Amino acid sequence: MKRFGVQIPQVFIIVFLALMVVLALGLDIPMNWIISDALVRLVMNGVLVLSLVPMLKAGIGINFGLPVGIIAGLLGLCISVNFRMKGLWGLSAGMLFSVPVAIVLGYGYGAILNRVKGKEEITATFVGFSFIPLMNFFWAIAPFSNPSMLWPIGGKGMRPVIGLKSYFAKALNHLWMVEVMGVKIPVGLLLFFAVLCLLLVVFFRTNFGRAMTAVGENEQFARLSGINVTRVRTWAIILSTLIAALGICVYAQSYGFIELYDAPLMMAFPAASAILVGGSMGRHTHIVHVVIGTFLFQTTYLISGPIANEMMLPEVAEIFRLMITNGIILYALLYEGGKTS
Amino acid sequence: MFELQNFTGMRSNRENTDCGISKNMPGLQNPTGTHSCRESTNCSISKNMLELRNISKSYGRFQALKSVNLTISPGEIHGLVGVNGSGKSTLLNILSGQRVIRDTGGFKGELLFENADRKFADPGQALGAGIGMVHQEFALIPGLSVADNICLSNEKTFSWSQKLFGDDLACINHQANRNTASAILGHMGIDLSPDLMAGDLSVAMKQFVELAREFNRDHLKLLLLDEPTAVLGNRDARCLMTAVKEIAAKGVAVLYVSHRLEEVVSCCDSMTVLRNGAVVDCIRPKQPGQNQDSQNQIKTLSNLMVGKKVKKTRRSQVNQVNQVNRVNKIKMIRFSSFSVEKPGDRLDSLDLDIFQGEILGVTSLSGHGRTALGAGIMGLYPAKGAVRLKGQPIRSFDPLQMIKKNIWMLPEDRRSEGLLLGHSIMENMTFAAIQTRKKFVRKSVIPFVRFPDQKKCRAYADAAREALDIDCRSIYQNVGELSGGNQQKVCIANALAMAPELLFVNDPTRGIDIAAREFILSQLLKAQSHHGMTLVISSGELDELKRICDRIAVLYQGRLFDVLTPDQSEKEYLLACSGIRPEEAV
Repeated sequence: MKRFGVQIPQVFIIVFLALMVVLALGLDIPMNWIISDALVRLVMNGVLVLSLVPMLKAGIGINFGLPVGIIAGLLGLCISVNFRMKGLWGLSAGMLFSVPVAIVLGYGYGAILNRVKGKEEITATFVGFSFIPLMNFFWAIAPFSNPSMLWPIGGKGMRPVIGLKSYFAKALNHLWMVEVMGVKIPVGLLLFFAVLCLLLVVFFRTNFGRAMTAVGENEQFARLSGINVTRVRTWAIILSTLIAALGICVYAQSYGFIELYDAPLMMAFPAASAILVGGSMGRHTHIVHVVIGTFLFQTTYLISGPIANEMMLPEVAEIFRLMITNGIILYALLYEGGKTS
Repeated sequence: MFELQNFTGMRSNRENTDCGISKNMPGLQNPTGTHSCRESTNCSISKNMLELRNISKSYGRFQALKSVNLTISPGEIHGLVGVNGSGKSTLLNILSGQRVIRDTGGFKGELLFENADRKFADPGQALGAGIGMVHQEFALIPGLSVADNICLSNEKTFSWSQKLFGDDLACINHQANRNTASAILGHMGIDLSPDLMAGDLSVAMKQFVELAREFNRDHLKLLLLDEPTAVLGNRDARCLMTAVKEIAAKGVAVLYVSHRLEEVVSCCDSMTVLRNGAVVDCIRPKQPGQNQDSQNQIKTLSNLMVGKKVKKTRRSQVNQVNQVNRVNKIKMIRFSSFSVEKPGDRLDSLDLDIFQGEILGVTSLSGHGRTALGAGIMGLYPAKGAVRLKGQPIRSFDPLQMIKKNIWMLPEDRRSEGLLLGHSIMENMTFAAIQTRKKFVRKSVIPFVRFPDQKKCRAYADAAREALDIDCRSIYQNVGELSGGNQQKVCIANALAMAPELLFVNDPTRGIDIAAREFILSQLLKAQSHHGMTLVISSGELDELKRICDRIAVLYQGRLFDVLTPDQSEKEYLLACSGIRPEEAV
């Protein structure tokens, strides 16, 4: 247990989750539905959480500028939809289109963060916040032509929500779906996530991956060992942005909609909470933290909704969610601060 | 080297201490090892200014002090000696009420000051009780004048303003403060204008101002001196000791911490030796019927400090002679007006040739530029000037460029610059070689994706562990868990894997116990003789440099003062470090 760094957030959320499961059983909420949904949600959000890892490992901190990567992904998806590409091919094409966008945006984002060493997290937050309005302007004038993406009246500018039903909604979710005892297991989706995790694990075992970890742990040591610290940090940021772009593609196909404009604004916070729940403490981040954290966090989200609906006002669930999300980030910041002072 | 005043001879109150400390030393059998001290002072217990009873202090799992007992009576100068990490600073922090003690969980045991049990929560309380401290790092305010610094928190004020506004807001009488300051400075025999800014003073003068500030306290009862002469030249040190003796004669108890044993022996009435946080022995040399010369006394003290006899690493004479012959042939690197802007330790227009295969020592007092050379070459701080490596000019100072040219540096601060503390010994030993030399790397079919060859890494780490005698559970243990000496060995293994031609070593033995020091020095010698490396070792430990170097460059205020040979006397070195030519000193 200690190896994975069991801390107060984990204990708290595990107790909370156990309580929820007991309540759910008491209220006759169907468990098979909850489990299959939990698996889908694990991957749906897991890839976004995974995208935090390279930057954490390189010592840049939590990527509160996740919207940058998300926007790259959204742009890729929009291009795919614009060409009316369908099914898995449409999704793959969307991912492919988002790669160059993510690299370009990541490079610029990296250039900013490399100028503010030591204050990356707060800068990243505001890069994310200020990038959204800039993109809002772009969405409003984007030269896309597929009418299902544009405002129905006037035919100019993107809709805030683009339905993917006739394109690639649930394309990956339904890939190799297996049903065991009433629980639907999205094998294809889980496999995609597993491969992505594995690739990242392998990456951190390569020479370059090790250099990245070293930069995160002791920048001066890395510099003295002949490593170009700025270059390594830039690549970590590009990698984070790239995985975030893939993450939003998976998220959107699972959700069934592309959400533009202000939707990505707050997406960094649940992801950050999830990885902290998993036990990540700054540089000491493992892929295990991502998987455990996302699962615990998202399942709590998932299960608290129907319970609150049954027992209290529906809004209570949302209030609890926000309390948990932001409380955990606050705890982690306090804990980190306490360690260094 | 020091005049031994009012001192006829001394002997420890133990019989067997002058012949080196063997394993049956009483201090080792009895972990507290203090009874002799208490026995000898039983008679004067009621008159003690300070008495420590079973003081223990631990930082987390590390125990810094183990039931320390110590007594000082009024007017006594008590010496406290011990190697680095023996707990001297912790003891001083407890006595002066530094906050770090309370923040890390306080201490155990009784601290009796004037026969009252005290626990100081902050330095203000200790000061109020009459304990003054002269810090090793100067606690002066650079932007205030000498007079203001001396009178700080003890200022003379106009009495009318004091009545009107209270103590905190009273108007300061600068003229009275100036007079007080110059009176005290004059009394100490120092010619210094009280109007100068403290920041503009030389290190020696700063030290005197610190001392003057403590002397100025009206009710000073106990004075703590932390390495007061570390930055002073010979003459200044003697001057300071005279001042300390004078204040002791007025009934102030003095606790004198120093690692210059000659000083301690010549000026202290009694001495306590700390080792690994415990009192090993307490020596009161001026007891009747004890006659021994000071050299023996020093030897006894140093043996007590270390705990066992250590074989000192020394280069064989033959080797050294060969070296000198070989040296004059090829120039390895040539510095011309090379300057490094390292804050607090800057190097100013250095002109120096370093020859292939030699070991060059670089020494100076701290803050005079000895650590700047390697750091400047590696591009850690802005450097300018012309450097030619084997005749080829070096244009940019950057770690990667230097590694490509087979130059490597062992930084002085291992923990923050030299190691990945959260990684294994093996990864630390092979990191740089994997990254920049493509050593220990598996061949890969996919371009840009290369993996370290675990087998080769393990083989190298095992061999290095064997050769360097690294004390660890396995090569997969985290480096952060190792002791300083073993960490330095890991750094050396990392450097050896790089096989550099020119190796800069900064303070190789800093914070390392004496046994490991000698081993590390011998390994550096081996690197030079077996692998033909050229070594540039910067260190403040003159004795170590003299034993292993071919030539030693002495810096003073950032400039090259002189290049000396190892067989020149200690005195010449100390003069050079203080910026004095031998002919001026006479």
